[in-house]
Amino acid sequence: MSRAETSHAAASRAETSRAEATVLRTGRRPQTAAGFLALFRNELHLTFRRLRTKVLLGILAVLPVLIGVVVKLNTDSPHEGGGGPSFIAQTTQNGLFLVFTALAVALPVFLPMTVGVVAGDSVAGEAATGTLRYLLVAPAGRTRLLAAKFTAGLVFCLAATAAVAVAALATGAALFPLGEVTLLSGDTIGLADALLRAVLVAGVVAVSLAGLVAIGLFVSTLTGSGIAAMAATVGLVITVQILDAFPQLDAIRPFLFTHYWLSFSDLLREPMYWDGVLKDLGLQAAYVAVFGSAAWARFTSRDISA
Amino acid sequence: MTNETVTGDGLDGGVPYRPRRRVLVRAGVPLAVAAVIAAGVGLVPALAADSPPDLPSLTAEQLVAKALGSQTQALSGTVSVTTDLGLPTQLLSGAAGGIGAAAGHGGQDAGSSADPQTKLLGLLGGDRTLRVAVDGPLRQRVDIMENMAGYTVVRNGDQSWAWDSSTNSAVHLTGAAGDRHPKAPLSELPTTPQEAARQFLAASAGTTSVTVAGTANVAGQKAYQLSVKPTQSGSTVAEVRIAVAADNGVPLAVAVKSTDGSTVLDVRFTDVSFAAPAAKTFDFTVPKGAKVTEKKADEVAKDSAAKDGAAAADDAKAHGNENVNVIGEGWTAVVTAQLPGGQVEVPKGDGKHGGRGSVNPQGMIKSLGKPVDGGTLIGTKVVNVLLTDDGRVFAGAVTLPVLQHAAGVN
Repeated sequence: MSRAETSHAAASRAETSRAEATVLRTGRRPQTAAGFLALFRNELHLTFRRLRTKVLLGILAVLPVLIGVVVKLNTDSPHEGGGGPSFIAQTTQNGLFLVFTALAVALPVFLPMTVGVVAGDSVAGEAATGTLRYLLVAPAGRTRLLAAKFTAGLVFCLAATAAVAVAALATGAALFPLGEVTLLSGDTIGLADALLRAVLVAGVVAVSLAGLVAIGLFVSTLTGSGIAAMAATVGLVITVQILDAFPQLDAIRPFLFTHYWLSFSDLLREPMYWDGVLKDLGLQAAYVAVFGSAAWARFTSRDISA
Repeated sequence: MTNETVTGDGLDGGVPYRPRRRVLVRAGVPLAVAAVIAAGVGLVPALAADSPPDLPSLTAEQLVAKALGSQTQALSGTVSVTTDLGLPTQLLSGAAGGIGAAAGHGGQDAGSSADPQTKLLGLLGGDRTLRVAVDGPLRQRVDIMENMAGYTVVRNGDQSWAWDSSTNSAVHLTGAAGDRHPKAPLSELPTTPQEAARQFLAASAGTTSVTVAGTANVAGQKAYQLSVKPTQSGSTVAEVRIAVAADNGVPLAVAVKSTDGSTVLDVRFTDVSFAAPAAKTFDFTVPKGAKVTEKKADEVAKDSAAKDGAAAADDAKAHGNENVNVIGEGWTAVVTAQLPGGQVEVPKGDGKHGGRGSVNPQGMIKSLGKPVDGGTLIGTKVVNVLLTDDGRVFAGAVTLPVLQHAAGVN
């Protein structure tokens, strides 16, 4: 595998903007952090420059606008709380709560769907388009390639959550009053404090999706079809949430990766209640360890023919 | 793990490529990771629940006295409440709606969702986490941490607030409430281990064997285990276990076991501190935009005095039915009442939308229960309710034969 061959492989991936892969062509140097960084930046470009990713983020950003408008239109009509998504009663009092409402609405379906698409497609998509084998010709190493893809997936989780949160904040500020925020425990905190909590909640939500990225990546290494991997990952999210709704399955529910997702609402109490959030983070770490290593085992021992 | 795994491996290394073996070895890695995590999850609680502490032995009397004589005035902590009564869920939500509606009769309709009665009934179904803070007899706070919502009851002197975040509504109770009222929401169901233990200890005279059953660690505190068992036959309660802190006699956990061996109620501190909570814990200011229902203490006292007599007979209670009697005593006491026949007008659902429908209470019970000699039985793990064919209701934590005997069947 000559350098010429390597740069040729990179060039053939120009469509997916892998030009930076040429950085890696100087032998086995990519052992270094710089090598990994180049690979990672490369993955980021690949993910975020795609039209598909932009459309997904756009959909996520429209969702809070939709919720905000609906809540605004309903505020005038006699509406006693209890129905509708969580936090609606608070949203009409303070636009900042639209961030939490939007995240609570997006977390069960929309966020995992977009993450499933990105993570599920990451390896399988490249296998399908035939770019994977060229990528592996470069001395980047499969392990590091997988790590770069996983990290890029995490960055996408952050971006997706941020898209929801920022759009919700803008919509909330435009449609509802801002100011002091009433927490779920009835305590009132200032706007600056509340913004900090919003950032914290968004961070927790993004990290909550880490387990799903690992699962998506693993599924992605199993198949050569991007569509199959995406569908399997998104289908798994839905199946797991259905299982989580059965009280009869109490014994396994705490181990389902979606089980503690909505525990972020415990951070909106005074003082914050971390129990559920910590369990969530621990669970995500366990899923990342298991499915990350499974993806590694599969990807590094797999015969890449496509 | 190292870069041995890069491409070209096996092509130019001169080593025969043995994919199958490598697949097997690699596949072992995630399995090992999963095994380590599973072992960790299984072992850590086992290690945390270390051996029971060594404490000087006490007699049952000494321990009960220690619990009753506890001088601890201030504490705060997290309480987990696990209930598994085996109640039909429709019945639970129906009863909650009925009680909420009944509460609405007394005062204004708005804000009934913040009424403590409705919320506390919700504690009967499933698991809840509460945060509790107490500083003396006049200042208490309970936060029920609901899914994506919160419910708070605060008492500070003669001011009491109940706040429901999901509807942004509050109930404000003012007046020189005696010990009874603002506490009443907490005394009907044991929301704190203290309250629960006190109720069980008070009910134990004569009909009960009380023993000390070893020691345990609860919420990081050394505690004695008090075992309370009914000596009367016919009770569905097998044992009540109360963990009493060795240091200060504060009850830290209460577990109720039924005769079929399952734990029906488990109230325990998962975290507790005996330092006085910060004063601001008990300050409650009305959140912006909240609907506030004002109530005077004496008005509420009157309202619920009518209700208190009929703890078990929800429907009778909701309509101020006076025909409530208690047969027997101790663990095998049976509450009996005449159930109104025919249709009863009740507000639909949670009573908030003003829709009214009619419910036939006898019909409802019959549809939920199973026919037995002399009537219809609704059986749960602890409480059994018998509706006789002539419309009387018998309820108690007793077996069916005891109910039938009380009803004069066979």
